[in-house]
Amino acid sequence: MPEWVYDAFSYFVIAYSSMVLSSYVLFVILAFTEHKKHYTYHDDDYTIEELKKSPYTPGISIVAPAYNEEKTVITNVQSLLSLDYPDFEVVIVNDGSKDKTLELLIENFDLVKVPYAYVEKIKTKPFRGLYKTRSDNPAFKRLTVVDKVNGGTKADASNAGVNVVSNKFFVCTDVDCVLEKNALYRMIWPTMASTRRVIAVSATMRMSNGSIVEDGKMVEPHPPHELIPLFQDLEYTRSFLIGKTALSRINAMQNVSGGFGMFDREVVIKAGGYDGDSFAEDMDMVARMIRYMCDSGEDYRVVQIPETCCWTEGPPNFKVLNRQRTRWGRGLFQFFTVHRDMLWNRNYRQYGMLTLPYILIFELLAPVIEFLGYFMVLSLLVQWAINWNTIWIAFLGLYVFAQLLTVTIISYDVWVGTSFKRRRDYLWFVLASLLEPFIYHPINVFFSLRGYVKQILGTQMVWGNMTRKGVQSAKKPAASTSVAEAKSAAEADAHKEGGKADA
Amino acid sequence: MEYYVLSRYAYWKYYFLILYYRLQEFPPAVRVWAIFTSICLLLLISIVLGNFIRVLHSAADSRTIDRYREKYYERMKEVALTARNLELTEISAMLKLPKNFKMHAKQNRRFVPILLDLYRHYADEMSKSNWQRLLQVLKMPAYFDEQVRSRSMRKRIIAFKNVADMDANLKEAVASRYLFAKDRKLQNMARLHAARFGTSYPFKVLLEDPNLVFTDELVIKFHNVLLYRMENGMSMPNLIHWCSKTPVNEELRIFAINEIRLFRRKEDCAEMLSMLQNSREERFSCALIQALGELEYVPAEKEFCRRYLSASFSERQELAKALGLINSGNPEVLKFLEEDFMQTTDYVTRMLLLRTIYNYGKPGRKTYERLKKDAPAEFAIYFEHIECELIDSRRYA
Repeated sequence: MPEWVYDAFSYFVIAYSSMVLSSYVLFVILAFTEHKKHYTYHDDDYTIEELKKSPYTPGISIVAPAYNEEKTVITNVQSLLSLDYPDFEVVIVNDGSKDKTLELLIENFDLVKVPYAYVEKIKTKPFRGLYKTRSDNPAFKRLTVVDKVNGGTKADASNAGVNVVSNKFFVCTDVDCVLEKNALYRMIWPTMASTRRVIAVSATMRMSNGSIVEDGKMVEPHPPHELIPLFQDLEYTRSFLIGKTALSRINAMQNVSGGFGMFDREVVIKAGGYDGDSFAEDMDMVARMIRYMCDSGEDYRVVQIPETCCWTEGPPNFKVLNRQRTRWGRGLFQFFTVHRDMLWNRNYRQYGMLTLPYILIFELLAPVIEFLGYFMVLSLLVQWAINWNTIWIAFLGLYVFAQLLTVTIISYDVWVGTSFKRRRDYLWFVLASLLEPFIYHPINVFFSLRGYVKQILGTQMVWGNMTRKGVQSAKKPAASTSVAEAKSAAEADAHKEGGKADA
Repeated sequence: MEYYVLSRYAYWKYYFLILYYRLQEFPPAVRVWAIFTSICLLLLISIVLGNFIRVLHSAADSRTIDRYREKYYERMKEVALTARNLELTEISAMLKLPKNFKMHAKQNRRFVPILLDLYRHYADEMSKSNWQRLLQVLKMPAYFDEQVRSRSMRKRIIAFKNVADMDANLKEAVASRYLFAKDRKLQNMARLHAARFGTSYPFKVLLEDPNLVFTDELVIKFHNVLLYRMENGMSMPNLIHWCSKTPVNEELRIFAINEIRLFRRKEDCAEMLSMLQNSREERFSCALIQALGELEYVPAEKEFCRRYLSASFSERQELAKALGLINSGNPEVLKFLEEDFMQTTDYVTRMLLLRTIYNYGKPGRKTYERLKKDAPAEFAIYFEHIECELIDSRRYA
């Protein structure tokens, strides 16, 4: 390869890295100002007390699609019903489960099919019926179960849930997510405190692997003690406490997680609901909501709150991680093909001029550039042309910067106050941070590129088996998973991830 | 022999100069990168150390609070729950504070969570005067005064919050300086404080501020303030007067109407009806309709029917609900509801009207049965939906 190619690439990498690092520094500063604002003005106990006794507290609906969740559905629904909030309903959408999910729900909550006048505000697969409880238990009265024909994606099931919710705001979550008891208070507050219309609220999500959960409630949060979920926990925390918080500060949030997020029902319906064909349906939904608000000339806000409100189970091995990241990569590529008209478009304000260019340059293109970087380093190694006197400084700088980011998120997490009870748990984060650049990051680059290639070639997504380990219980340790359970869980997970084909 | 002591700044300067000259043979990018690495390393070490020190401090602080709680909680509880009015000296004696115990801001801060805990648990049983004197002995009003005047925004806001939470007595003059503060949150806290404890027309500031932004958060907080005033026998504002005053923020007018509805002040209904007759603002009209409906003001029915045909979509829904709530058994109203049910094409309004007819006493049920009999087969599900008791009536109808 001619020398000028190496030189040109080196200068390009220096410029690109400088931009990435500057953006990180900017994000850290913006996140700091947002956390400081939150710390100054917000008091969790005070907010909860005010909302608890007020007749003005708005109702919230929780939409949780369930597909082949017979093993966990009862505990998880009970956990959702035990949330602390004066006015909420839980809408479980049984998306044509092949197992006994619906039967178990009917049996345990004394449900009966009611003659419900279903109106399809968002198009979904056919609605089969709606179930309500006959029991006098006031908690059960909050439960609504919607039964529909399987749509193959979480998006379709969520849309059916949106069609029946009765409150202005709804929280979209997965049935196996563990929610913080006060999560709904925390989610609704930004909508009340803002002077602008809040169309979506996102909260920090963490990995539940390694935590102790009793009856679907988080008893003791701990970091995962397995490498892949630990890496992902670190990545999530960094993304929520720095990236999303910083973007929320300037009202340029790119995404509200599909695992846990609150939305304005009216805007979701007007934006057409979740897109079942999208591989990144949550990101796509937020983009369409923003498009609707900007096109109709309305002012809006998408807010990120720093407190941890939800725990979800992370991929336990590389195989599942591969599937998840390939889908994300594919979804990102697909997202830009669908919403390319919003890019550099002034009509879409910060989203068009800041968020989308940022995602394009630093998220979509990053794996390609990194891959080229690996290739160049290998080629230089083969030629023994690496300048060893300087390269160690470059590596050391990047490594120290990565550690600095980790220490910063730990400080933010402690500051926000919803951190691990045991401070020594953070040492796991430090460990993950030390290993991440060598193990997790290169693998993710490869998975993302795989997703891009699949999207370009238009390959049909096929979902592999997902072995769920489950979270630790305070009463009994995590049960071992049989082959049949694993298969059932695999299908459920494929559904949750919006897959087109079953395992 | 002379000794030169370098300042901290000089140390850093020399460090970076050495770094710069040592790496002189390298390209500028490498030199800049080396400086960047050093800065990162320094930041890393300082953040880790800072966090470590902070954790140690907070652990020590919470240990001290626990010690205070163990020592004084029961004594303070005894003071607060004594029915007889106690003198300040008596309270001091009961608390058994050490002779050399000097109450300063740090100690006050440690007493705050203990006092809040005590007030939260025994607010209903305690003697108000003894409680106020206990706070005086612990010099809490002076502490809160100082906190409200401090430079830290968080300290000011937390002080206002704590004053409200433990019913402490803060001088009106201290709070009033922030009634028009630049920071909106601080301004709101001061206004809430004034509204909660003020005696001379405490809501005046709301009516006089032309830049008032009345968010849902304030709606909740001011409602709680009004509730507090009512429960403590304090003077209540003339809410209907807020609506007739000009210029008043529309959100504030809606809030006033909603409060009339929640406090069930039926004596304001006639004035609300006359406001409705002249109202052109949709949201304000909806609030009036909802209030008149919930207060079951029968003379409003005629106006509701008159207004219905020219009303907007959301106003129509409120009118249908309000007519159902008044439920006077007036056959003319029932006839009107039936006619509109036959004419309307909107699904939600139709379901609402059907629900209103269904719940409109005996004649309503009769009309409902007739409508059900005459309805085409595909509408049967709507009638079944209305009749089903398990479905929350908030849904559609």
